[in-house]
Amino acid sequence: MAPLLEVRDLVTAYGKIEALRGVSLAVQEGSITCLLGPNGAGKTTLMFSIAGILRPRRGSIRLGARDITGRAPHVIVAAGIALVPENRLVFANMSVLENLRAGAYQRRGGAEIESDIERLMLRFPRLRERAAQNAGTLSGGEQQMLAVARALMSRPRLLLMDEPSLGLAPLVVEEIFRIIAELHRDGTTILLVEQNAHLALQVAQHFYLIEQGKVSFSGSPGALAEDEVIRRAYLGSAAR
Amino acid sequence: MLLDLLQNTIDGAAAGASYALLAVGFTLIFGVLRRVNLSYGPAVMIGCYAATWLHLNFQSGLIVLALAAVAGTVLAGAYVERLCFAPHRSGSAIAAMVASFALWMQFEELATLVLPRHVYAFPLLHEGAPVEFLGLSLRPDALAVLGVAAILCALLQGLLHRTRFGLAVRATIENPHAASLAGIDPGRIFVLIFALASAIGGIAGFLIVATHGQVTPMLGMWATLKGLLAMMLGGLGSLRGAIVGALVLGQIEAHSQWFLGPQWRDLVAYLLLFALLAANPSWMTRWTISRSAS
Amino acid sequence: MDFYFGLAQLVGVHTLLGLSAYIVLLTGQVSLAQAGFFAVGAYTAGMLTVLAGWHLVPALGVSALVSAATACAVGFPALRIKGLMLVVATLAFGEGVRLFFFNFDYQIAKGEVKVGPLGGEGFRQIRFFPEHGWSTLEVMLFIWCFVLLVMALLWWIDRSRYGAALRAVGEDELAAQAVGLNLTAIKVSAMTLGGGIAGIGGGLYAHYTTHIEHSSFNILVATFALAYPIVGGLQSVFGTVVAVIFVQAFLIEGLRDLGDWRNLLFGALIVLAMNLRPRGFLDARTLASLKRVFGGGPRA
Repeated sequence: MAPLLEVRDLVTAYGKIEALRGVSLAVQEGSITCLLGPNGAGKTTLMFSIAGILRPRRGSIRLGARDITGRAPHVIVAAGIALVPENRLVFANMSVLENLRAGAYQRRGGAEIESDIERLMLRFPRLRERAAQNAGTLSGGEQQMLAVARALMSRPRLLLMDEPSLGLAPLVVEEIFRIIAELHRDGTTILLVEQNAHLALQVAQHFYLIEQGKVSFSGSPGALAEDEVIRRAYLGSAAR
Repeated sequence: MLLDLLQNTIDGAAAGASYALLAVGFTLIFGVLRRVNLSYGPAVMIGCYAATWLHLNFQSGLIVLALAAVAGTVLAGAYVERLCFAPHRSGSAIAAMVASFALWMQFEELATLVLPRHVYAFPLLHEGAPVEFLGLSLRPDALAVLGVAAILCALLQGLLHRTRFGLAVRATIENPHAASLAGIDPGRIFVLIFALASAIGGIAGFLIVATHGQVTPMLGMWATLKGLLAMMLGGLGSLRGAIVGALVLGQIEAHSQWFLGPQWRDLVAYLLLFALLAANPSWMTRWTISRSAS
Repeated sequence: MDFYFGLAQLVGVHTLLGLSAYIVLLTGQVSLAQAGFFAVGAYTAGMLTVLAGWHLVPALGVSALVSAATACAVGFPALRIKGLMLVVATLAFGEGVRLFFFNFDYQIAKGEVKVGPLGGEGFRQIRFFPEHGWSTLEVMLFIWCFVLLVMALLWWIDRSRYGAALRAVGEDELAAQAVGLNLTAIKVSAMTLGGGIAGIGGGLYAHYTTHIEHSSFNILVATFALAYPIVGGLQSVFGTVVAVIFVQAFLIEGLRDLGDWRNLLFGALIVLAMNLRPRGFLDARTLASLKRVFGGGPRA
């Protein structure tokens, strides 16, 4: 089966420093794929390159049959990829409802958008309570949910999530991962960056380990857990 | 005495209304671009010169002149945007400002090339004496300026808060990167906002010259300074602030002119602004904390 | 020849104006107040030579001090704001100074004529050079003595610990503060120094034109002051000189033959320069290659 997202030999650089040095990976339709790796390995750079915020120097990115390498972010959103960035980037001075509408900017048809908002409010009850509030007044966890909901408003074929658990309380992290699992059940394809490998093991079907701008491991959760080196580095030596 | 105060307040409100339009245009451009456009006033001046040229050569009616002023300002604004702001979108804010200053020189030169006299008469919105009412003299054209400014501000408010385009503009103002992740093309918003701000500036310019009855190349500098001043007085952060700042500026000018004399009028406004900025009240820093202009 | 000497005078004074903005820009402060300091210097020096009958050199010293003090007074409140707020605050200050001189009358009778600043009429008969019989060449050399002095001072500062501190503050205030630099002292001292330089420039300007008025110090002059170091680049004082020569000698005088079309081309060339070299003519890379060519770099 042809993958939904296919990244080939991607090189992205900041000036002279190459943050990605030839990354290749594939994301299967309907799966959750997880990127592991230490800080500064290039995971966020990869996410930014796929989402169009950074322009890759070499290599290609395909979504289905379409080549989206180096396209502008709004074109990539229209093509069907939505990124939930690490720092969430909600519109702090706009209401929750307006944030959601902004997420649907590429779509036409007001009635359908409103019914999508209605559905998301059922999934994220906290957002319904705060619908008229400015996003800046939300807690960190609520902002994360809003960022996910805003990304879903574009009805993406592929959802990119960059460290959704970062800086959140354990209970909130649990809720976020419950939502990720739910989205997966509904058939959403997700590419996830996560430092917490234990959490990721619960939801992801495929793993990539990125180190120093290159893919150093690719495999199933089982293969990941068996790899001694990875176990020690990412699961702790006293792994289950 | 009370009557004089009231009269000053009315005169100040009329002046403030025209400043409000200039300040709103400035605020829109600064809001989305975070760049100072020194050529904003000179572009307005070009629009007014286009209208004056039509008036001199074809004796066109006021409606045509107003349209010409808007069209001229939008064209000049597009020229500024392409040359000064599109190339520096992610680069140096101060390089963009210096470039916009260079275009200012071009605009002044262009105006004096086409119409070389220092001053040209412009048809008035309303000929004839002011209306006397309870001892106050009311100029119908000044009231028209107030009305037009109020309507335009209301329309703009609606545009920004009730439409899809307005949503995209506000998202871009907050964070262009986040906006692009939501599927909005910030580059397109920049261009459209520049055009919209220029159109508002064109209307403001037309109303100003049609109440003053004359056009000079100095209008460019004048409009830039008044627009900047009003925008900053309002606290740099919202359209509402810009409008309030402009009305306050009109009042300061009208009253200081009455109490201290016309030569002190502008000085009072500048010193007040400097003092306000230096005191740096928190309401003036909303936009500048995260991403300063330069 | 007198034409070229006159041009060199103009370039010299504008270089001082540009350098006054240069040192302030090093600390990351974008100031449109330089025209105001320039005006204070011009009026101070003019009043001292015309009304008090001083020699020009001490008058320039005093005008530098007065302008520096003015700039110091602006520097403190300016500390708290940056970006556009600072641009507009300094613009408001500069315009305030200009409007002050627009309203400033101080005339005394000298023989049968009254001399001194007269509001909107300006300040005429600043005739120190003609009264002492200086030739255009001598005036030009006199002006350039000051220009070279200031350039040498700034060139030396650039190589000192103080210069490194100025640039550190300009690059990243928080980091500069974190390594123990005193932000207040550095920013205010740069502003003060810039004010002093503008004061000398203003004093020289008043005497070679013999007639100053409020409109000689408007926002256009303020923007020119800022444009020179920006167009020239902040890597070196020479960038500012190159920019002044480019703008004043080449664009404004050199294109004079084009007559009315001059400013159109002027604008286009500045925009082109900013688009091609947003970091100025003499950016870091150009300087590095120049240094390679000249082996160790040009000496002042």
